[in-house]
Amino acid sequence: MKSIQSRLSLGLVVMLVVVGLGLAQVSLWLFEVGLHRYLESGLRKESENLLMALVQGQNGVELDQRRISAAYNRQFSGYYFRIDFDGKSWRSRSLWDTELPRPETAGLHDGLELGPEGQQLLVLRADYRRQGQAISISVAQDYTPMRDGFRRMQQVGLGLGLLALVMVLILQRLIVKRSLRPLERSREQIAQLQQGKRTQLDSEVPSELEPLVAQINHLLAHTEDSLRRSRNALGNLGHALKTPLAVLLSLASSERLRESPELAAQLREQLEQIQQRLSRELNRARLAGDALPGAHFDCDVELPGLLSTLGMIHGDGLLIRRDAPVGLSLPWDREDLLELLGNLLDNACKWADSEVCLGIRQTPDSYLLWVDDDGPGIPADARQGVLERGARLDEQVAGHGLGLGIVRDIVEAWHGRVDLRESPQGGLRVHVELPRRAGR
Amino acid sequence: MRLLLVEDNVSLADELTASLQRLGYAVDWLADGRDAVYQGASEPYDLIVLDLGLPGIPGLEVLQQWRAGGLVTPVLILTARGSWADRIEGLKAGADDYLSKPFHPEELQLRIQALLRRARGLANQPTLDAAGLQLDEGRQCVSREGEDVQLTAAEFRLLRYFMLHPQQILSKSHLAEHLYNGETERDSNVLEVHVNHLRRKLGRSVIETHRGQGYRFGGALP
Repeated sequence: MKSIQSRLSLGLVVMLVVVGLGLAQVSLWLFEVGLHRYLESGLRKESENLLMALVQGQNGVELDQRRISAAYNRQFSGYYFRIDFDGKSWRSRSLWDTELPRPETAGLHDGLELGPEGQQLLVLRADYRRQGQAISISVAQDYTPMRDGFRRMQQVGLGLGLLALVMVLILQRLIVKRSLRPLERSREQIAQLQQGKRTQLDSEVPSELEPLVAQINHLLAHTEDSLRRSRNALGNLGHALKTPLAVLLSLASSERLRESPELAAQLREQLEQIQQRLSRELNRARLAGDALPGAHFDCDVELPGLLSTLGMIHGDGLLIRRDAPVGLSLPWDREDLLELLGNLLDNACKWADSEVCLGIRQTPDSYLLWVDDDGPGIPADARQGVLERGARLDEQVAGHGLGLGIVRDIVEAWHGRVDLRESPQGGLRVHVELPRRAGR
Repeated sequence: MRLLLVEDNVSLADELTASLQRLGYAVDWLADGRDAVYQGASEPYDLIVLDLGLPGIPGLEVLQQWRAGGLVTPVLILTARGSWADRIEGLKAGADDYLSKPFHPEELQLRIQALLRRARGLANQPTLDAAGLQLDEGRQCVSREGEDVQLTAAEFRLLRYFMLHPQQILSKSHLAEHLYNGETERDSNVLEVHVNHLRRKLGRSVIETHRGQGYRFGGALP
């Protein structure tokens, strides 16, 4: 979709060009018509003067040279005449040896070209009747200087018009930019929102944008609120179910069931299934997924806490390293990512001999996360099986299975990929690839 | 070893108290956060098991108040909120370990055992070694030079405390405080009897008497 700015510019340019050209053309035409009329009246007067100059001399009708303008005698002066009467045709001396054709009809004619200089003539033919004799007088005037002036005027007008167009466009750009500034600000704020730098849009916006911004803010607040509420509710549900389960598990392994070990074993098995199913489903339901646009995970802030927590759980003998660029922020919900990394690292810590390493890298279209351990690893042909075991709820086992099941749930919710490889230390590497989300 | 269990679910608390007592721990049980803040800081517990969803004051706040007050007793958090975000929060508040419900009773027992040893700066091995003795806490028996010696529950409790605090002079009242919970009547004569039983089974030199001060375990041995 084109930007509003360029649409407005395009519309304005087209409109200005069409209207400007139309106006210029019409005014030029009107001006030319007026000029013709003015010149016509001059020519008519000239023809009447010539008529007056026709006098009765000794040899019949003669042209009284004293009564005609000197311009008719100067060669190619731009003023010509031709008088046709009684089968005779007189031409002005100014025509020299060229012929001024007699227009077919009376009235004004233009566009006649004449002489070596290519003069454009405006010709007026007037028919008179004098003493019973038809006299047709054609008077012509060179129109070239006027036409040249006219053209110059046209060019100057065109230049001025273009200049005005450019100025109008610049002004329009400025005005549009000014009036669209709130839109631009909202756009920037949405970008910040997606980078996790803010949680709400500024509500100080023009009234046109107000409903939009208010609606976005409302949606953001609503999403965050409902996520928090559902997590809270899930937490409560978990609490309500898990404490009795803990009691039952404790009962199942108590002294009172020592008499019937089979019953105890069955009880424990069933309870374990409930427990695993419950924690997997609760974890899955807790996922924020893509719901929050502003979610982000600041590695520098969150990773030290996570790693020291793991260090505390798994004892001091284990070295947990991290290899992540400084200042890296991942665009996913903090709790989801902590759950993902926590499970990956916890698994690695369980199997590692002495060292676990978390690596995070950013590539142009995805984020790569991997967790290495120096434990026994998994043979290449068994790796797929481990991943699939994690996928099926009823086949979960503790250890790699359950933890990886939760990891898979999270990664799938983000449209990512998990695979198992061999780590440089000879143990297992769990490699996770998470595609970037649009706009991040 | 004396533990404080702060848990508001009565059935779970009953089960845990019973199983922990079977393992030779003296257990005090509280269900309210406000009581826990006071009693946790005033009684000499060796370890505290703390549930987070408590009436009165939330468990996390109880822990923060303890730590702010300078309490260094190891705390194991027991909670149904098992997410990693919650765990990190708990450990940041000053917990030493985190166990999410539901759990296997054995796992809790192993965590408690490991925490108690860690608090004494000891490695987490299958047996507790001190002064040439190996104590198997699971079987509640001690072996000396490869030879198993059976112990009564009371002897096991006493020996374990000694072995976790070797070379230290421990007064009778100190021992009584850490071996019996708040409801047991403390009789120092009973302690003397148990010490004598231990000496008879493991040799006189294992526990020295420092007149007027108390007992010292493993003092004569390197």
